[in-house]
Amino acid sequence: MQLRYVFTELRTGLRRNLSMHLAVILTLFVSLSLAGIGILVQREATVARDSLGDELKILVNLCTDDDPSHSPNCASGEVTADQQQRIEKEIADSDEVASSAFQSKQEGYDRAYEQAQRNNTQAAFEGPDPVVTVERWPAAYWVTLKTPERADGIISALEGLDGVSVIKDQRKALGQIFGIMTVLKYGSWIGAGFLLFAALLQVTNTIRLAALARRREIAIMRLVGASTLYIALPFLLEALVAAVVGVALAAGVLAAFQYWGVEKALSDHVQFLPWVDWGDYTQALIGLFPPGIVILGPALTLIPTLLLTRKYVKV
Amino acid sequence: MIRFEKVTKRYPGPGRPALDQVTLDIDKGEFVYLVGTSGSGKSTALRLVLRELRPTTGRVHVAGKEINRMAGWKVPRLRRQIGTVFQDFRLLPNKTVTENVAFAQQVIGKSRREIGKVVPETLELVGLKDKGDRMPDELSGGEQQRVAIARAFVNRPMILIADEPTGNLDPATSAGIMNLLGDINQTGTTVVMATHDHGIVDQFTKRVIELDHGKVVRDEASGSYGFQH
Ligand SMILES: Nc1ncnc2c1ncn2[C@@H]1O[C@H](COP(=O)(O)OP(=O)(O)OP(=O)(O)O)[C@@H](O)[C@H]1O
Ligand SMILES: [Mg+2]
Repeated sequence: MQLRYVFTELRTGLRRNLSMHLAVILTLFVSLSLAGIGILVQREATVARDSLGDELKILVNLCTDDDPSHSPNCASGEVTADQQQRIEKEIADSDEVASSAFQSKQEGYDRAYEQAQRNNTQAAFEGPDPVVTVERWPAAYWVTLKTPERADGIISALEGLDGVSVIKDQRKALGQIFGIMTVLKYGSWIGAGFLLFAALLQVTNTIRLAALARRREIAIMRLVGASTLYIALPFLLEALVAAVVGVALAAGVLAAFQYWGVEKALSDHVQFLPWVDWGDYTQALIGLFPPGIVILGPALTLIPTLLLTRKYVKV
Repeated sequence: MIRFEKVTKRYPGPGRPALDQVTLDIDKGEFVYLVGTSGSGKSTALRLVLRELRPTTGRVHVAGKEINRMAGWKVPRLRRQIGTVFQDFRLLPNKTVTENVAFAQQVIGKSRREIGKVVPETLELVGLKDKGDRMPDELSGGEQQRVAIARAFVNRPMILIADEPTGNLDPATSAGIMNLLGDINQTGTTVVMATHDHGIVDQFTKRVIELDHGKVVRDEASGSYGFQH
């Protein structure tokens, strides 16, 4: 196949429809950037969940003698075996709970002591009359939820039980963050969806115009027996060029977002959250599910081009 | 080379068919006029040969193949064996004479070397050796038709189809075109030419197939245009 002709055609085709191609490229660029940001936010949510997964658990502290919470549940002092059984049953019966683990006074104390030593705040644990002792440290249940969204049932059930001192629910703070992420994710995807649809319409219009401009050539090519692929090739290449430029621009914007937005700004200011890294960026480019922009861009221009040229170029 | 077996072609919509049970047989190397009044089905018959159309019923054989049943992807190969010329020339206005002729070779993937050799040869054959660099609008009608014939013949097809090739030309120019088509026929190429031009048909005597309302009403080995005109 003589490619020189194809490339000459490609060049004239790109020039002839320059404004149309620019419109396609810009729309594609903005929509793919939005789609990519949506993917990054989704990855961010996954990353955060993965690493904060433990903290998504609910900690149920049991009463100690002279409990600092002064909760009416602790009126009888140190939690009794009966109370503990009742609590355990409530946890086991809840359909919101995936699993739970008991943490004894000693285990909880050891863990806290270790953490304090690491942070150099062990003073309260030491000395002749320490503030923190094993006696004063509460036993607890670590309750792992099936989904972080559903915990109201188990929390309200446990809150009223004798022997339960405090329920530490870190989902509230994290839940807000995940909520924002969800809004961002769907917001950018919906925006991307509309713009991608606009890009699709522009692609079809561009092809229609290009086919019209080249109708004499196409008629003669068909007549002298050029293959359908050969006739369609300039159209496909034009679409591919538009897609490549659009994808490259979007990839650049996403890289800038990752570098200046995430690495240089967000991860410095918000340290308790793990942040998306360049691996996630790569996923936003070439991931399969959701499709990355390197897949999305060419698919959006090439598939309609293939379908339309079949119509216009049919032998 | 070309055989129609009871070919009927009905266009969408009401009315009689454009071709009605046409059976005809054209051998390799023949020169055939297809004549008949406007609307009698001449162009339809030619487009069936090119497989631009498929018959409603019946069979069309070209070069030993039943083309009405041919798979779509094989059609380009069929068309490479057929050259086509029209009344309105259909040259590309933004290409020179040489480029117009070379186009027919480029788009089927011929090498640059072959194009460089065959295109000048073909231009010489049609008598346009010195006009390769002209644009189509710098040529007379007759010259433009010669370019079109060169383009149709440049791939050395087995069949040349001409749909009223002299329809836009004066008698003297037409005679030149007929001589050219005669020369091409002499090389062994089968020529099928639809025409209204009885002067031509009577002057360059060949086989005549006459269509009337889609039916073959006359097929003479060495005929005239007919008395009714
Ligand atoms: N694309 C089409 N759709 C519908 N009807 C058509 C089409 N092409 C041709 N016809 C009809 O088919 C009949 C035969 O047309 P055709 O063009 O084959 O005639 P023709 O002999 O070539 O005429 P002319 O000498 O004017 O070129 C006519 O009645 C015409 O109206
Ligand atoms: Mg006609």
